[in-house]
Amino acid sequence: MKFFKPANLNDFFEITAKIKKNIYFLAGGTDINVQIKNNLLSEANIIFINNLPELKGIYQENDQIVFGALTTFRELINSSLVKKHLPLLSDNLQNFASPLIQTSATIGGNIANGSPTADIMPLLMILDANLIIAGKAGSHQININDFYHGYKQNKLNKGEVIKEIRINRDALTDVSTFYQKVGARKTLTIAKVTLAGLMKITHGKIEQINLAVGSLNEYARRLPQLEAYLTGKTKQQINLEKLKTILAKEITPISDLRSEKEYRFSVCLNLIRTFVE
Amino acid sequence: MEIKFILNKKAVTIDVDPMKRLLDVLRENFGLMGSKEGCGEGECGTCTVLLDGKPITSCITNAIHAEGKEVLTVEGIALEEDGKLLIECFDETNAVQCGFCFPGFLVSSYYYLQTDGDEDLEKIKTALSGNICRCTGYQKIFDSVLLACKRK
Repeated sequence: MKFFKPANLNDFFEITAKIKKNIYFLAGGTDINVQIKNNLLSEANIIFINNLPELKGIYQENDQIVFGALTTFRELINSSLVKKHLPLLSDNLQNFASPLIQTSATIGGNIANGSPTADIMPLLMILDANLIIAGKAGSHQININDFYHGYKQNKLNKGEVIKEIRINRDALTDVSTFYQKVGARKTLTIAKVTLAGLMKITHGKIEQINLAVGSLNEYARRLPQLEAYLTGKTKQQINLEKLKTILAKEITPISDLRSEKEYRFSVCLNLIRTFVE
Repeated sequence: MEIKFILNKKAVTIDVDPMKRLLDVLRENFGLMGSKEGCGEGECGTCTVLLDGKPITSCITNAIHAEGKEVLTVEGIALEEDGKLLIECFDETNAVQCGFCFPGFLVSSYYYLQTDGDEDLEKIKTALSGNICRCTGYQKIFDSVLLACKRK
């Protein structure tokens, strides 16, 4: 294991350009240290990014709330800016991991790790969060809903890092929201099913609906077919059989040590019904 | 790599692998055996210490994370007023069974007493939710912290 400690982003680009492969970033350390313990990273080049000043802070810029990638879950939950504009995040992440892990774990690390069960992911997805990716040639933006393409596979190229996460400040204006994580206990639990939803109803009809799920596919995702089916409908027009058929196309739950696939499907369906009916 | 930090209120410098676990640094480099290794994956909380005043699991924290920061371990907390109060209350309530989880509970309880301190069972449960007691003696642990909040 080799260790590098860039002082800023430019330094980071220079260091990563010189390393051919096996690059791993260390921020809060809550995921990577478990891999190290299991001897999975003996050949790794560890880049300690926790000090990069460009990746820190929570602030407002025009109509956006900006989270530096190194924002910890504790900082996010306690942020007055988040409580004011995006309470969906601060209210629902209270039970993320544990109070101890909330101190260290970073949002950027959670996104980069890309666990299909990550608590925050369905929330970021219904909020249409944008990721600012920094690379030597400059920064570019990618929507969180386009970021993953497989189990723990994302579109970050070598030498790039997630710099910040941007969410529309008014994303929660005039909408009703839903978030439920189903786990075996309150804290320190990995989700069996997570559903996040955001819905705007006008004249009794669903004008807009964003739904995202975790723990039901190889990566967390929105449910675009179900969203399209529900849009424009009144509650009475929603057909349960149709809902089931579409949901079966969009989620691929598996049976593992945490629960059975049938259970996961039923719970997901029930959560969606709780929200829309 | 040379790493400087404040350990239990004293400035220290060590030459250490920056990836060495903070838990091992405390136990091996400084002989502070209070922090224990339980799961080694951040789930049980028996290795809890305060880093810049906030509770972390030192088994999934590296030496480099301590650089330039303040680390307060259960040994340091035991010398503080709130630490002494908590020990007294844990003692009176007979909250400690096998004792393995106790250092972590003491650190999390100390943090709660310092930052909140309300005599509120639900708040205390949340504050201690990152610490696991496999003797399952939670009620007496909560009683101890409630008593400490009352006496403070």
